[in-house]
Amino acid sequence: MSELIRVTDVVILAYFLALNTFYALLLVLSIPEIWEQTRLAEDEDFQRLMQSDALPPITILVPAHNESATIEASVTAILTLEYRNFEVVVVNDGSKDDTLERLRHAFDLYEVPRTYPETLSTYPVHAVYRSRTRTRLLVIDKENAGKADSLNAAVNASRFPLVIAVDADTLIEPDALLRLTRPFLLGRQIAAVGGTVRVANGCTVKDGRVSDARVPRRLLPGIQVVEYLRAFLFGRLGWNRLGGSLVISGAFGLFRKEYLHAIGGYQTRSVVEDMDLVIRLHRHLQRQKIRYEIPFIPDPVAWTEVPESGRILARQRERWHRGLIAAMWQYKGMLFNPRYGRVGLIAMPFFTFGEMIAPLVEVAGYIVTAVGLAFGVVNTSFALLFLLVAWGYGMLLSLWAVVLEEVSFRRYGRLGDLIRLLCYATLETFGYRQRTVWWRLKAFFTVFTLRQRWGEMTRKGFEDAGKQAAG
Amino acid sequence: MTSRQFLLIVAIAQGVLLVGLVILIVLNRWVRVRRSARIHPLRIELDTLMQRWSLGQASPDEVLRAMARLPVPIAIDALVTWSARIGGDRWQELSRGLESQWWARAVRAASRSARWWKRLDCARFLSVAATSHDVGRVLRLLRDHHPAVQIAAATTLERVGSSALVTAALEQLPFLGPTVQAYYASVLKRARPAVLRHLQQLFRRLDDPRLPRLIEFAGRLEEPVLREGFTTLATHPEAEVRSQVARALGKFPHPESVAALGYLVADEAWPVRAQATRSLGMIADPKSLPAVREALRDPEWWVRLRAGLALTRFGAPGRNVLLEAEVGGDPEARDMAALILGLSPQALAEYAA
Repeated sequence: MSELIRVTDVVILAYFLALNTFYALLLVLSIPEIWEQTRLAEDEDFQRLMQSDALPPITILVPAHNESATIEASVTAILTLEYRNFEVVVVNDGSKDDTLERLRHAFDLYEVPRTYPETLSTYPVHAVYRSRTRTRLLVIDKENAGKADSLNAAVNASRFPLVIAVDADTLIEPDALLRLTRPFLLGRQIAAVGGTVRVANGCTVKDGRVSDARVPRRLLPGIQVVEYLRAFLFGRLGWNRLGGSLVISGAFGLFRKEYLHAIGGYQTRSVVEDMDLVIRLHRHLQRQKIRYEIPFIPDPVAWTEVPESGRILARQRERWHRGLIAAMWQYKGMLFNPRYGRVGLIAMPFFTFGEMIAPLVEVAGYIVTAVGLAFGVVNTSFALLFLLVAWGYGMLLSLWAVVLEEVSFRRYGRLGDLIRLLCYATLETFGYRQRTVWWRLKAFFTVFTLRQRWGEMTRKGFEDAGKQAAG
Repeated sequence: MTSRQFLLIVAIAQGVLLVGLVILIVLNRWVRVRRSARIHPLRIELDTLMQRWSLGQASPDEVLRAMARLPVPIAIDALVTWSARIGGDRWQELSRGLESQWWARAVRAASRSARWWKRLDCARFLSVAATSHDVGRVLRLLRDHHPAVQIAAATTLERVGSSALVTAALEQLPFLGPTVQAYYASVLKRARPAVLRHLQQLFRRLDDPRLPRLIEFAGRLEEPVLREGFTTLATHPEAEVRSQVARALGKFPHPESVAALGYLVADEAWPVRAQATRSLGMIADPKSLPAVREALRDPEWWVRLRAGLALTRFGAPGRNVLLEAEVGGDPEARDMAALILGLSPQALAEYAA
């Protein structure tokens, strides 16, 4: 028994070392990336580019399901983006609330015949609407079949070669599209680009725009600000130098439409359609030996409302992890497969062994330590030291994300916000982290029974959130 | 070393790093605030001087002195901003004045720097302050491996009238990504005479792989002297070339264009047929109506859509063709006619865009 505990201890320690060494590598790689991106973001003369006809036209895809609270503000904000040539395709995915009515009333919609081929098969489309007041807007009303099916319907209706999927509850910054096209302006072989998603809770929202970025005072959304900074600013930036991440946020990612068609669009059976899509893109492009990049650039920003209650957050995290497990299982053939280059040899193993099984190992670590302590196999001071190092490392990574934010984009200008960020980066380790481990662990039990179920997300609406923040 | 000792060392290192990071965050903010407080008044002073200089109330020397007090990237930013507001001889005078400034000489020397951001600074500076002495530097920057530097260097073409630069940019155009190509094209349009001469020469190289991209660019110029070159290329063996020719000819309403498009509308490749049909609609010559009517029965959906949309541009005769097709015997032409006749004028306008 004691031997088993010792061996398990060593395995967990080795896992901890390997994983954290990789995180350290990502951390180091994120430094030159953020330097380059910040230089480009600051140096480009966007006004001049906007006046030229060099910008590629873009279709913005907005799937909406029961988004009555935010749909009008979101679509208005999207329609007033600073970009020369774009259209917006909103898909009402069989909403049970008055999402469509709100759209009809706000944008004076009228029904038009369908004038595009159904390249990707979708559930039936009831009607297609155009707006009398906003010529760039197209609204599709279709049978409820989930986000992926809605996105496929929107891709079918899109006219332009680049498409960007945006959640209806997401607020895009006015110049975000312009910034997102930077890799295309730089002449690279881009298959897709991801931008940063930030937390809108606590921010002041005016006319569908974040006018004053604040760090929320409430603990749960506040900690998620640090999580998002860590995920986007250092995680994904580091991956740029390792062949590209497997994730482009479904809330804000630009794709080349020809590649979406080539891989059959979004996978309707997937729980996390964004990750599934990016993995299939990598697989297709690697198989076809097409030169490509799927970079992440940090300065285009979209703001999203994150869960404020533990119950909804638990459902969201459980679903995300369920999707990760399902995706890793479905595409296991790519794992350690040299045919898929760095994606097969670095990204897939990391997401499988570093992300997917991490909660299992962490819980095993807690159990083995507790058992070891009970049987006197593990020394108490050693166990505490190990715990201290593990938690300290998590804090270090979170603080590094805050450093990157501070030296680059500095969205949170007030000293109070900075102090709150530092506090949340420290507090995250105590309690919150353990809860997320538990939620992610539950995904291993639900993955085979609830593969397609989505958790309901209760929205407060941005204007309300802003008023609360102001009050 | 025991595992306990190892963990202890890691814990101490982490502690030091944690404290270091917090200090770094606080220091960074403090330095930024101080720097901003120092530089902001200098920038305002420069802007005021620039404004006075543009009104003839200050000398260029005063402007140059104020600029020299700013950090180089901020001075370049100021130059870029003001170049859009002040032009002509006055700006040329400032450009010449900058040649003798120490910081401007350092920026010019950076055209050979190993660091791309230094070369970018140089390219941005030259895009607004280049003189005829800078042609060699701009040529080097145009061929830089970093696209951001290339883009900034291409902007120089708007200011320096050099056929060597135009030729270099035009030669490079087909090898660039589509978006960078479009940006180069928008810049090259402003150097029209030199571009036209060089394009006419390039059109004679029938086996040049750059031909489709060059035709695409030439089409955007809408320059009548190029029309003859396009019609000659209508029989080119490459479908991509023919497709670009078909697209470009829509912008040249001329009997020879219509004749060439009449030939291309029956091409074996459907993208060529679609483009030719679209272009016939743009010209809307009544003689080409039968060819467009025929395209409405094309086996390819996109060609039929283009034909339907083209017919709406022929006025009443085109509408009659659509009405006949709507009740006609060909099911595919019938569907397309019904679809087009159901579109609102606004939707038609958007399709035409």
